[in-house]
Amino acid sequence: MDRAVLTFVLWLGIYLPAVFAEGNRDFMRETGKIYVVVATLLVILLGIVGYLIRLERRLTKLEHQTKDDA
Amino acid sequence: MKWWKIASVVLLVYTFTAGLLVPLKSGIERVEPAVAATKQSLAIRFFGYNTFFTRPAEEPIRVWLYYNDRYALQARQVKPLNDTILEATFQMPANLPDGKSFVLLNALVDHPAAGASLLPAALTLRQVDSAEASLDRAWTDNPVTGLHLQRGFSFPYQNILYETIRNTYFHVPMWFVLLFLFAASVFYSIKYLHRPEVDLDRRAAAYAEVGILFGILGLLSGMVWANYTWGKPWSNDIKQLMTAAALLVYAAYFVLRGSFSDPEKSARLAAVYNIFAFASLVPLLYILPRMFDSLHPGATGNPAFGTQDLDNTMRAVFYPAIAGWTLLGFWIADLRIRYQRLRDKALGLD
Amino acid sequence: MNWRGFFALLHKEIVLEWRRRYALSGIVLYVVSMVFVVYVASSRPTPPVWNTLFWLIALFASINALVKSFVRESSDRQLYYYQLTDPVVLVLAKIGYNTLLLMVLSGLASVAFILVTDSPVQRWLLFTGILALGSLSFSIAFTFISSIAAKADQSATLVAILSFPVVLPVLLTLLRLTAATFTPADLPLSIWPEVRNLLAIDAILIALVVVLFPYIWRD
Repeated sequence: MDRAVLTFVLWLGIYLPAVFAEGNRDFMRETGKIYVVVATLLVILLGIVGYLIRLERRLTKLEHQTKDDA
Repeated sequence: MKWWKIASVVLLVYTFTAGLLVPLKSGIERVEPAVAATKQSLAIRFFGYNTFFTRPAEEPIRVWLYYNDRYALQARQVKPLNDTILEATFQMPANLPDGKSFVLLNALVDHPAAGASLLPAALTLRQVDSAEASLDRAWTDNPVTGLHLQRGFSFPYQNILYETIRNTYFHVPMWFVLLFLFAASVFYSIKYLHRPEVDLDRRAAAYAEVGILFGILGLLSGMVWANYTWGKPWSNDIKQLMTAAALLVYAAYFVLRGSFSDPEKSARLAAVYNIFAFASLVPLLYILPRMFDSLHPGATGNPAFGTQDLDNTMRAVFYPAIAGWTLLGFWIADLRIRYQRLRDKALGLD
Repeated sequence: MNWRGFFALLHKEIVLEWRRRYALSGIVLYVVSMVFVVYVASSRPTPPVWNTLFWLIALFASINALVKSFVRESSDRQLYYYQLTDPVVLVLAKIGYNTLLLMVLSGLASVAFILVTDSPVQRWLLFTGILALGSLSFSIAFTFISSIAAKADQSATLVAILSFPVVLPVLLTLLRLTAATFTPADLPLSIWPEVRNLLAIDAILIALVVVLFPYIWRD
């Protein structure tokens, strides 16, 4: 599961920008570069969500552990 | 749920809504042709951004190509071709001011509702044929006057940036959150040295960890933004380097914490390092930006976001944005602390 | 401030070092080897390159020299003696000793470096002053950091990483000041703001060390 997430993030973070970085005049740069704003926001939100997911998983594991011990 | 967590959500919803929905002020993207010669009579097209030239207006749209406060050329005729293209006919004068061989003219479009829009250095005017002795009257006959202010709330238009100016509400606050979180971390480190309680050390570590998170997010979001505005994601800009330095410092903080087996010693020495490093970061953040030029706004002298960099309209969203993101940062840190407490209790370390 | 204690400790450090000369010999070896590397690489560096190379050599030699500042407290007599003294006096004495050590080191490094390359330095008095100031600044930073790292694994890498934020503005200021020594001696200079910055940093650092060191020394 973790590896799938990692691969997806890598694809998102490396492949996509590479594709869009070359064909510049078209996608990212048209419509007033609003999609750059979208991309920036996505980076921040995905980062925060990612951290929260990590925290969530560790909490759940901890809850299961204490439940087993109790 | 605590009031400040609710406040963070409210502020962030406001930031996102206003930040994304408020339109940009009308601006001029470019002018075609961008080169002209003296004595020429030509129709120049002005390409607008977020303009509505064909909408009926109570006063006519006026267009100038101006050199400075004293010398301006007004268009003879202005005709909107569509909402975003304006065709202005100019009769170029016979000679240029100050006896120059070519001048850069700024484009100015004045619209009764949208206000005045400016594009600096839009057109190059060359001196062709020999110049006459006295300056052509066209330069002074129609000075720029009676410019309108825009109606309605909008964000500034900036060439190259366009809509990405909205990133000011998303990328820039990351730096402020980082500073606030690291400051909280140092605060708890100081408290820990006074009164060595485990929870104080837990808080110091948690704030440092979330601070690093926001630092990374700030760097990454900045790289995305820079890629499409500065040309490349990393330009060794001083602010980028400083953020990287701050992150290295706190990474070292965690390395230090890890190198001790005795938790009390680790907490104490890490607290000392935290204070020392933060205190020495402050002159770094103060001195370095003044040493180097930067692509970031508010550079060359003052690294903070100066008063000249922010429009009043932007401030109405920027300050709530900082508050909202900071509160969110503290909320995440709060979760991290609570997790650590549970974990320590479960492992019997409490 | 216990001045007698300060000078007594300082004297003790110097005498100890002179007897066994561990640090000195290590430093000499380090400096000679680095200068040799530079010589092999290029003996005609341009002034900015000379500046950078010199200070990088000085920086890494200083780190290596000061990493072991807090190691020799193994003998019982020394331990007993330290327990009598105020930790502030102790750390200040260490810093004083380390400053002297680094001044010797930087002097040696500059002599070796100048012999081996064309040095662009023209104002020698100023250069010596900068070396002294740099030695003081590095000494404060690395002594303090090595006191923290001493409880861990005392590695030079750890000391380098931990000192990074402190050393960076100091290093950049030293580079700028040294660049000023490349101009001929008769032209006027406006380096006072930089010197003032450096002194201010040193003042902040000393204050921090004096306040924070007792917490490290608690054991």
